[in-house]
Amino acid sequence: MADLTELAGVAVEAARDHESVEAYAEEARRTEVTAHKGEVEGLTFAESRGVGIRLIANGRLGYAYAADPSLEEVREALARARESAELATEDEFNALPPAEPIEPISALFRQDQAALVTERKVSVALDLEHLAVSADPRVTKVDQAGYGDAVSRVAIASTGGVNAEYGRTDCWAVVSALAEQDGETQAGWSFRVARELGELDWGSVANEAVERSARLLGAVKPASGRVPVVLDPFAGSSFLGVLAGALSAESVQKQRSLFADLLGEAVGSPLLTLVDDGRTLDGPAAATFDDEGVPTGRTELIAHGTLMAFLHNTYTARRGATDSTANAKRGGYRTPPGVGTTNFFVLPGTTPVSDILRQAEGGVLIQDVSGVHSGANPISGEFSVGATGLRIQGGEVGEPLREMTVASTVPEMLKGIAAVGDDLRFFTAVGVPTILFAEMTVAGV
Amino acid sequence: MLDRELAGQVLRTARARGGSFAELFVEERSSLTIRLDDGKIEELTSGLDRGAGVRVGHGTSFGYAFSNRLDPDALLEAASAAAAAVAEGAAGQVVDLRAQDPPVVHRAERPAEAVPAAQKVAWLREVDDVARAFSPHVRQVSASYGDSVQRVLIATSDGRWVEESRPRIRLGVQVVAGRDGVIQTGFHGPAGLAGVEFFDEHPPAATAEVAAKRAVTMLDAGPAPAGEMPVVLAPGMGGVLFHEACGHPLEADIVDKEASVYRGRIGEVLASSLVTGVDDATIPNAWGSFSFDDEGVPAQRTVLFLDGALQGLMYDRLRAEKDGVASTGNGRRQSYAHPPIPRMTNSHILNGPSKADDVLASTERGVYVTALGGGQTNPASGDFVFGVSEGYRIEGGKITSPVRGANLTGRAIEVMSAVDAVADDFDTWEGVCGKDGQGVPVGSGSPTLRIARITVGGTGG
Repeated sequence: MADLTELAGVAVEAARDHESVEAYAEEARRTEVTAHKGEVEGLTFAESRGVGIRLIANGRLGYAYAADPSLEEVREALARARESAELATEDEFNALPPAEPIEPISALFRQDQAALVTERKVSVALDLEHLAVSADPRVTKVDQAGYGDAVSRVAIASTGGVNAEYGRTDCWAVVSALAEQDGETQAGWSFRVARELGELDWGSVANEAVERSARLLGAVKPASGRVPVVLDPFAGSSFLGVLAGALSAESVQKQRSLFADLLGEAVGSPLLTLVDDGRTLDGPAAATFDDEGVPTGRTELIAHGTLMAFLHNTYTARRGATDSTANAKRGGYRTPPGVGTTNFFVLPGTTPVSDILRQAEGGVLIQDVSGVHSGANPISGEFSVGATGLRIQGGEVGEPLREMTVASTVPEMLKGIAAVGDDLRFFTAVGVPTILFAEMTVAGV
Repeated sequence: MLDRELAGQVLRTARARGGSFAELFVEERSSLTIRLDDGKIEELTSGLDRGAGVRVGHGTSFGYAFSNRLDPDALLEAASAAAAAVAEGAAGQVVDLRAQDPPVVHRAERPAEAVPAAQKVAWLREVDDVARAFSPHVRQVSASYGDSVQRVLIATSDGRWVEESRPRIRLGVQVVAGRDGVIQTGFHGPAGLAGVEFFDEHPPAATAEVAAKRAVTMLDAGPAPAGEMPVVLAPGMGGVLFHEACGHPLEADIVDKEASVYRGRIGEVLASSLVTGVDDATIPNAWGSFSFDDEGVPAQRTVLFLDGALQGLMYDRLRAEKDGVASTGNGRRQSYAHPPIPRMTNSHILNGPSKADDVLASTERGVYVTALGGGQTNPASGDFVFGVSEGYRIEGGKITSPVRGANLTGRAIEVMSAVDAVADDFDTWEGVCGKDGQGVPVGSGSPTLRIARITVGGTGG
């Protein structure tokens, strides 16, 4: 079996004189274990590899991929990409990035994790479920309790001279707990990710899921009104996805962003600084290079409320006459690179969460929002989402609330930030601390 | 894709330690996607996927292993890995593999792979032209064309041998309209299990117009009213709500985990007597249809609600075996890389006795919903939320001004019991449903229907 660099290399060798060709090859080995009622519910092993080929000829782009190809099938995929390119529209900004020196990040790959035996993974999954059903008498079952991990490797080669590869290990734990009382059921979840099992705090995943489900028992619908709203990191992370889309240069250039004409202007409270950093090891999405081989870096997108920059890949950077911020992103070898985030996070402030709760007297702590993907319009910035949470009384969280909707617009929300907590928490690739909003519309009955 | 001898050998290896059954799922998928954006054909992507998954079931637990290599060594290795999940026991039996006759065949009359890519590019260009010509306020058009053929082979230790070819086609159009600093979007994306004859009924130009009209109309939208009120759902939209709020809690794995609001309540009246709902994989050429599910069980029609009474659940093999019933043919998976789980196919609320015009005329004040942006549900409590991407006020029995930023929240049983009118103008809506990280094509459908009281979240009065 050919290795990744060999597969990528054969595509580049087969390029014709006037063609730019890039081959992105990846392979992964994944294991997932879920537990239910003290037994292994599912055990999944996976091995996959594939190659995606991007070909640019006369400014026209074609793409083709093949799963687990032989060297001959890579050449065939290149031929399909060549045919496809002939039908695409010419675009002067289509180009591959030039080769740049790449600093490896050795901490991304952990030998111990790559060698972890299946029995250990099974025991973690069983332990997760056991912890979840033992912490609180009202929580006797889980909707989901699981451990998963992946060992993966990526190689990129291009006619532009890129020739890079790196490996990584990732592992994660997830629990969705169900709390019950008097015929009512409430769900609460938690999730954590790490580079090796020794750094994965799965005990707190179980505890958080239990606490977050149990505290919703007895929830009532709130009255409608404008009140202070606190988003905890779980709820806040759901909103960051909407911001990520609006800050992509691709959205901006296609007039699909509410930030399109606002570079250099105040778009949020001075308390807000929003960063994308593909190198910080604090975030799980750190990578040596982005999905077209550009070395990762750090970009301040919003600094103290002022819009400073957008997220760029090589294409959008050329089109916008600027440099790539190393934010090329693809959904694996099956798709050509678009624009996406790496570690995308709100810089933590200095306010302890207890102070935030005191400032939000009479307001609502939102712990979970649903329907952000459908209820928020990334272009107009309007949203109205369903939420669950807790009333804030006397500086503490109190009565649980259900079936509420929170409605506002992204610009209003960013400007209405009244405090930023010191408790930054990462969920996969987005990170956010607890945030206080001076006032938002909460609708119930 | 594979001969029966090798398939038998893989199944025997998978059952080396026992377990209640073993299954081999082999898939080859060729696809073409073309993306138009900003007036340009940005890219054409041609894909070739293949792989196989081996599953060993043991009660409601399973071991699953997959690889995208199809050589005997890789398949036998996957079989051994899946077998390792089962506690050591005596080897299980593998019955002779026999081909099954499909209950329904969904054939592409004019297969998309035989149509030159240049024609598909031309459809996208037409979409771009039609949408831009619709109104001077149209700012941006993005559209994607996709076709694929998924060839599957399923062999099971109880002797099933199933082969099926599933041709899928979809054209999705998103339009951005803007005026005086207001920006709105509209989407439409019909899809089918068919060839390019699908476009005879759903011409690309018509799809472009629906999306453009949606975006442009919403430019005039005012804030949505907030509070409890009657809501009339346009044809198709009741099906989306039915899918999220009722369908998911009726999937047998959710029920098995005691996470369903419907658990243990079969036979009870849990919806208005006007509501009859089915899940039906046999509808010819429908987006969510197939001949066999991804466990090799023939496609079927399952009644979920009959005149408001809960009739049954949607089962895959594992859950059916546990409950001592037959699978309803709802075991589906995104690809060979995913173990099958209970999923919906085409979930429909059937036509009722009313006329849509009468339903609206008899609604004094409320909201008329013509497009839902998708939604989420908590199956344990039945709580759900939906974004309304196109909606209007109803005032004095008439549809008046468009509203923006609305959503619908409620609880499944309360809301379905509050349905007080069902019309006879059934239509469908196609989407990709996500569950446990797997996306599968699903259809939803319903006629116009009215919910007497539901919470509308909005910013207006």
